[in-house]
Amino acid sequence: MNAVEIVKAVKDARIPATEITGKAIERIRQVDSEVRALLTPLFERALEKAAEIDRKIEHNQDPGPLAGVPVVVKDNLCMRGLKTTCGSRMLENWCPPYDASVIRFLEEAGAVVLGKTNMDEFAMGSSTENSAFFPTANPWDRERVPGGSSGGSAAAVACGYAPLALGSDTGGSIRQPAAFCGVYGLKPTYGLVSRFGLVAFASSLDQVGPFSRSVEDLALALNVLSRPDPADATSSRRERPDYTACLGKEDLKGLKVGLVSEFENYPVQPEIREALAKVEAILRGAGAEFVPVSLPATIEAGLPCYYILAPAEASSNLARYDGVRYGISAKAENLMDLYMKTRGLGFGPEVKRRILTGTYVLSSGYYDAYYLVAQKARIRISREFREAFLHADLLLMPTTPTLPFKKGEHQDDPIQMYLSDVFTLPVNLAGLPGLSLNAGYSSSGLPVGVQFVGPKWGEETLLAAAEAVERVLGKPACALGGD
Amino acid sequence: MPIGKDEILRIARLGRLFVSEEEVGPLQRHLNGILEHFERLKRLDLEGIDPFALEEETTAFLREDAVTAWAGREEVLQQAPNREGDFFRVPRILEENEEEVSPDERR
Repeated sequence: MNAVEIVKAVKDARIPATEITGKAIERIRQVDSEVRALLTPLFERALEKAAEIDRKIEHNQDPGPLAGVPVVVKDNLCMRGLKTTCGSRMLENWCPPYDASVIRFLEEAGAVVLGKTNMDEFAMGSSTENSAFFPTANPWDRERVPGGSSGGSAAAVACGYAPLALGSDTGGSIRQPAAFCGVYGLKPTYGLVSRFGLVAFASSLDQVGPFSRSVEDLALALNVLSRPDPADATSSRRERPDYTACLGKEDLKGLKVGLVSEFENYPVQPEIREALAKVEAILRGAGAEFVPVSLPATIEAGLPCYYILAPAEASSNLARYDGVRYGISAKAENLMDLYMKTRGLGFGPEVKRRILTGTYVLSSGYYDAYYLVAQKARIRISREFREAFLHADLLLMPTTPTLPFKKGEHQDDPIQMYLSDVFTLPVNLAGLPGLSLNAGYSSSGLPVGVQFVGPKWGEETLLAAAEAVERVLGKPACALGGD
Repeated sequence: MPIGKDEILRIARLGRLFVSEEEVGPLQRHLNGILEHFERLKRLDLEGIDPFALEEETTAFLREDAVTAWAGREEVLQQAPNREGDFFRVPRILEENEEEVSPDERR
């Protein structure tokens, strides 16, 4: 059952929330030893929360728009008094003293959190292999990666642990794993969803967003998640629409879809090209028109721009892990020794690479040559997108250049790993919404994803277009024999 | 000019990060690889762009400056790796060796 069906069944008192939760837990127990999507299960707590929902139903109280819906959340979202590790040794036993706003929004809406999902350490990575604890497998081929950094959340939804999951997306960390695991993943416009209680990676790029296996679930989740939040200074105050209201349109007449000319010669695996052509044909069939758009600087400079700015912000944000107030702490003779040893011990190789890169590009003598140039390139990229959206309502793009790669394939070559995000990270640089959807499966049975990108606050257009595709292709399948 | 081993150690110190003998080589290779990739940025025409200009409406959420009580003090202190009463305990600070301080460390 998807989230919308669960809410209906629970509200109509046809199925108790405790039964829904019990079944989800059973499913996790059945397959998680193979997939390893969960870092911390919260089963007992989940059953208690579900019982609260059932009591509300019994007493005719409104249990909320996500009544009884099981969800899993990425382990960089704070839950009060519960382990929030960020996939790092640094925070192995850290229990935050407050809830992330999005967790509060979910629980107030009646959702039941089943557990915290695995991720690349501090959300740095594209394969979930950088988790300090264990890698997660791609549910469609366990020799392959689920993508990352929100690989645990994507794999969990693909396996039917829960109809909804939360991830975070700084350069593609929701959309790339969504594509690799064959589910929907939405990275909202910067400022739409609160980041209060999301452990910071690169604050000018980070956004929280949902995964699902149906478009209506994605819209329902966005309704709950997109509340304005005074606790996040970047949270926009603009009024939010009802995101489910844009669904159910008969056609897409009048919709203009942009195809990026520069992507035509970019090396992309043939099965992804075929999926793009298939989605194009579906959208045309629904009445959409196609127009060419041009993003020359984006494709030329997006990747280097991102890999200067994101590490620069990360090196600054991660300065807080000093061994004094929380997290691990090394034995040390003096304060400098405490900082150096704690951080040397607590951070894994990719996090160290990024801190080093970020520190370098911000250091005196290099700031102008790298950071400032990247900042200018970012503005140039944003302008290019703005120009493109004068001609198109949304862009159809690949989510990734390749299908899910094998475990270990890119571990010794960080730049190859970074290239996995070449189509997703420009969207973060420009602060735009992006939605990755499944467009079928390769001849070897691997999911193939494509991406819609919209102008700022254009989530409704993305959802409506995704629904038009879903109507033809059906909802994404559940992996490992689930339903 | 590629970055040498000493430069890696200097940057690591700026970032307050201990880097072991085994880690230096791979980090050096990686950083040089990325810097090479960064050269592409220099081919872009970025004339006349103000890197700090806000190009769109700001959406800042300004709150009233009001004092609110927060009951999480004990929870915060419980997370301290080294606690003494209501304090975070740290190693000796004042007698630290006064080493030469680089401009970045002074900032």
